[in-house]
Amino acid sequence: MTRILLRDKLDNCVARWRKAGLTVIGPVKKETFSSYAAVENAAELDLSMIMPDRSIKGLFFPQTEPMLHYTIKKQALDIKDFTPPPEKRIIFGARPCDASGMAIDDPLFGWDYKDNFWFQRRNETVIVTIACTKADDFCMCTSLKLAPDSTKGSDVMLRPLQNNRGWLVEELTDRGRDAFNEIADLLQDGSEPEASIAVVPEKFDLDACVTWLQKTENFESTFWKEISMRCIGCASCTFLCPTCHCFDFQDEGDTYSGIRRKNWDSCSFALFTMHTSGHNPRATQSARWRQRIMHKFNYFPGKFNVNSCSGCGRCSRQCPVDMGITETLQAISTLQP
Amino acid sequence: MTIQETYKTRAKELLSSGRVKMVVGYKAGSTPDRRRPHFIRTPEEADRLILDSACIANLSGYLITEGLLSDEKSVGIFLKPDGIRSLNILAAESQLNIEQIVVLGFDVNNNEITSLKGEKAEDFSTLIESLKEHVPQTPGNPLLERIEAMNDKERFAFWEAEFSRCIKCYACRQACPMCYCRRCIVDCNQPQWVNTSSHTLGNFEWNIVRAFHLSGRCVGCGNCDRACPVNIPLRLINAKMAHEVLGAFDHFAGMSQTQEPVLASFKKDDSETFIL
Amino acid sequence: MTENIQTAQQNIYKPAIMKIVARHDEAPGVRTMKLEFQNPAEHELFKQNYRTGMFGLYGVYGEGESTFCVASPETRNEYIEFTFRQSGRVTTALANSDIGDLITFRGPYGNRFPIEKFYGKNLIFVSGGIALPPTRSVIWSCLDQREKFGKITIVYGARTVADLVYKHELEEWERRDDIDLVLTVDPGGESPDWKHRVGFVPTVLEQAAPSPDNCIAVICGPPIMIKFTLISLKKLGFDESNVYTTLENRMKCGVGKCGRCNVGSIYVCKEGPVFTAAEVSKMPQADL
Repeated sequence: MTRILLRDKLDNCVARWRKAGLTVIGPVKKETFSSYAAVENAAELDLSMIMPDRSIKGLFFPQTEPMLHYTIKKQALDIKDFTPPPEKRIIFGARPCDASGMAIDDPLFGWDYKDNFWFQRRNETVIVTIACTKADDFCMCTSLKLAPDSTKGSDVMLRPLQNNRGWLVEELTDRGRDAFNEIADLLQDGSEPEASIAVVPEKFDLDACVTWLQKTENFESTFWKEISMRCIGCASCTFLCPTCHCFDFQDEGDTYSGIRRKNWDSCSFALFTMHTSGHNPRATQSARWRQRIMHKFNYFPGKFNVNSCSGCGRCSRQCPVDMGITETLQAISTLQP
Repeated sequence: MTIQETYKTRAKELLSSGRVKMVVGYKAGSTPDRRRPHFIRTPEEADRLILDSACIANLSGYLITEGLLSDEKSVGIFLKPDGIRSLNILAAESQLNIEQIVVLGFDVNNNEITSLKGEKAEDFSTLIESLKEHVPQTPGNPLLERIEAMNDKERFAFWEAEFSRCIKCYACRQACPMCYCRRCIVDCNQPQWVNTSSHTLGNFEWNIVRAFHLSGRCVGCGNCDRACPVNIPLRLINAKMAHEVLGAFDHFAGMSQTQEPVLASFKKDDSETFIL
Repeated sequence: MTENIQTAQQNIYKPAIMKIVARHDEAPGVRTMKLEFQNPAEHELFKQNYRTGMFGLYGVYGEGESTFCVASPETRNEYIEFTFRQSGRVTTALANSDIGDLITFRGPYGNRFPIEKFYGKNLIFVSGGIALPPTRSVIWSCLDQREKFGKITIVYGARTVADLVYKHELEEWERRDDIDLVLTVDPGGESPDWKHRVGFVPTVLEQAAPSPDNCIAVICGPPIMIKFTLISLKKLGFDESNVYTTLENRMKCGVGKCGRCNVGSIYVCKEGPVFTAAEVSKMPQADL
C-alpha cells in the first residue's frame, strides 16, 4: 500500500516529530552558505537546492569531539568518559549521496573495535532522503554505481511527486518505520505521478580505474605528479567529503585537567605522516594525492568491499584550484591498464 | 592579436628560447566559468593557455612550493598587480630569488583584461605606487561598510557567527602565497599554541592569529576567501588589517623587494615609543 | 589475535592507567620504564590479549600519546616494559615522569610474532641501536621456553658503546652458554676497553655467517640497517619468508580508523607491526 506525504503537511510533521522528542534537521540555506541544521518549522527547510555545501557527516562524526575528561591531583588520575549526549534526531531531506556516505563508513568505524561515538549517533538518527530531481555538472553518483534515487544508507526514501506536491514514501528500515508511525495520520494512501529523477551521466569507467590502481607498477607512475601539480593541500575536499574519516587526537588543557578530543584531519596535510625523526613517507603533494585516490578506490574497497566515495562531487565543486576525484578518475580511465 | 594571443606567443617564445623552464598560467576549468592553474613546459602545452577576465587567482604561491626554483632556472608566471606585490614580498622575505622570475603582467578591471608592460617585478613599481596612492578611503564593499557601522559588541557577535562555521581546514592558509611556513604555528605542539579544534576559542585563535601574521603582508588577492569551503568573508579581516597598517605605519604591502616587513622592523619615528 | 572485546557502549579510546614502578636510563636520551596496571580488570584484559610483537600507545594526559612496542614478552605479562628515546612532546613528558607517576597505556594492538612457527628451529636475532626493544620481547619469549628452540644467535650493535641499550641484559646473555651473543659498535664507536667486535651490523652478521638451514631470522632496526641486513641475509641464503621484521609508522588511534599508518593497503596498526620480509617487499616501497 503506497503512501504519500503532501508538502502542505510538512509543517505538521516537523511539529509532531519535535513533540516526540526528535531534533529535526534538514537542508538550510543562509546568505552565503548552506548546511544541514536543526529547524523548528518546515519553512526553514530549503529542499530545492541540489545539495548543501556540507554533508551530514558532521552530524555523526563532528569536527571536534571530546572523548575523555581527565583530572590529575598529585599522583591520582581521574578519567571520565564522554559519551555523546543522547539526542534522537531525524534528518529530513538528506541527499542519497550523503546517506550512502554514512553507510560506507559504518564498516570502518566498526572494524574490530566499535567506535561508540559514531554508532551511538547512527543508532539515534533517522535518515529520510529525498531523491534528486536535479543535478549539476559535478554530481557523479552514477559513476560510483549509485544513483540519484539510491536507497543505500536511508531509513526512509521520499520520491518527489510532480508539481512539487510532495513525496511518495518508501519506508526501508524499522527506524524509518517508527519515525513515520509518528506521522501516520498525516500521510495519504495512494499514489500520484512522480517527478522525473535527475539524469547524471557517467563520468568515468570505475572498473577500469580500479584495475589500473591495483597494478603495483602504477604506484610509481609519473601520472601522479602530472595530475596533482596544482593541488595546494588544503583539505577542503577531505572535510566536505561524506566518507572521509581521518582524525587526530588533541589534548586540550594543562597538566592538571583537560579534555582529550578527536578532531578531523586530512591525508592532504603535509605533516600528516611526519615522523618525529623527521622522516616523512609522503613528503610531496603528489604522494599525498596518490594516497587519497588509492585509499578511496583501492585500499578501502579491498578491506570493506565498497569504494570510499558516494559521488556527491563536493570535492570538485569546492576545490579552490579546480581539482577533484572526477578529473583524476577520468584521466586514469584513459590510461593503459 | 587579442591580448590572450599576445601572451600565448610570449609564453611560447620564453619556452622555446630556453629563457624559462616553465610558465605558470591559466587554462580552462571543469566548467565554462572556471580557470585552473596551468604548468607549461613546452611551447605546445602553451596552446591551452587562457587569459581572460575569469583568471583572477593569485598564482605566486606556486613559485615557492616543493623547490620549483631550487635548480636556479627561471620560471615565467602570469601575475596581476596583487600577484606582483606577492612576488615582491616573497623576495623581500628571502623566500625566492626574484631574478629567476619573468613576469607576464596583466590586470582585470570591470570584467575586462588589460596587458601590463614589463618583465621584471621592478618594472611595475610605478603601477604599485599608484595603487598605494589610490587606496580607497571608504570601504566600497557593502559588507565591510555594514561591519564598519557596527559597534564593538555587534562586530564581535558578527565574527563569532562567521567563525562558528570554520572547520579548521586551513584552505585559507594553503591558498595564500604569504602563508609559506613549513611548520605553521598551528602545527607546533611544544606547546600547542593554537588549538586545532573548531570550537569558538579554537576558531577565533586561528583566524585572528592568521590575520595578525598577515598584517602588512596581505595583498588582497582574495585567494583565501575563494578557497574557504564555508564561505567566511576572510578577505574583509585582512583588508581591515591592511587598512590599519597603512594608517599607522604608512605601509602598503609588496612595494618592492627591499621593503622591510612592517611588524618586523622598528624605526625611530614609529608612533610606538617602545619596541614591544 | 585481539578479539572484538569492546561493546558499542565502551569507549575504545579510553586508555588503562599505569603506574611507573621502575625506570632505567639505557643510553643518552633513552629510557626504559616498567609499568603496572592499577585496575585489575584492565590487567586481565591485557593478559588475555597480549602476545609478543604487539604494541601500545603510551600517553601522558595533557600531552598526547606515542606508539612503542611492548618490550616485555607474553610470558611475563604481570607488567609492561617499554623503551623510548626523548625526541618530541610526549616523550619529553614521559622522560619527565618519575617512579610513582601515573601514565596511560592503550592496547595491546596489532599482530604477533608467530612463535610456534619457530619451534625446533635455530633463531638469529639481528638488531641495531634503539630497535633492540621489539627484538628483546621475542628473545625473552624464546628464552622463557628455551628447550623448544635450536641454536640462538643474537647480533646487536649500536653507533657507540654508550648507545647500546639493555646493557645489563646483554651481560646476562653473554654469560649464558645457550646463546651466542655477537656485539658490535660502529667503527669509531668503541671505547678503550671494548672487548667485542667493531663494524656495522650487516658486516658483522656476514662474518658470523649463520646457516639458513632450518633457521628463522628476526631483524629490527632503522630502515637503512634493515635494508642492508636483508641483503646480507639473502647473500647467506635466507628466504624472505623466513625473515621477520617490524614496521613503524606514525600512529594516532592504533585501531585502524584514523587513516594514518598505512603503507599501501596495509595498516601497520592492524595487520602489523610484525611482517615477514617477503610481505614488506610486496608493499609500495615509496610509501614506507
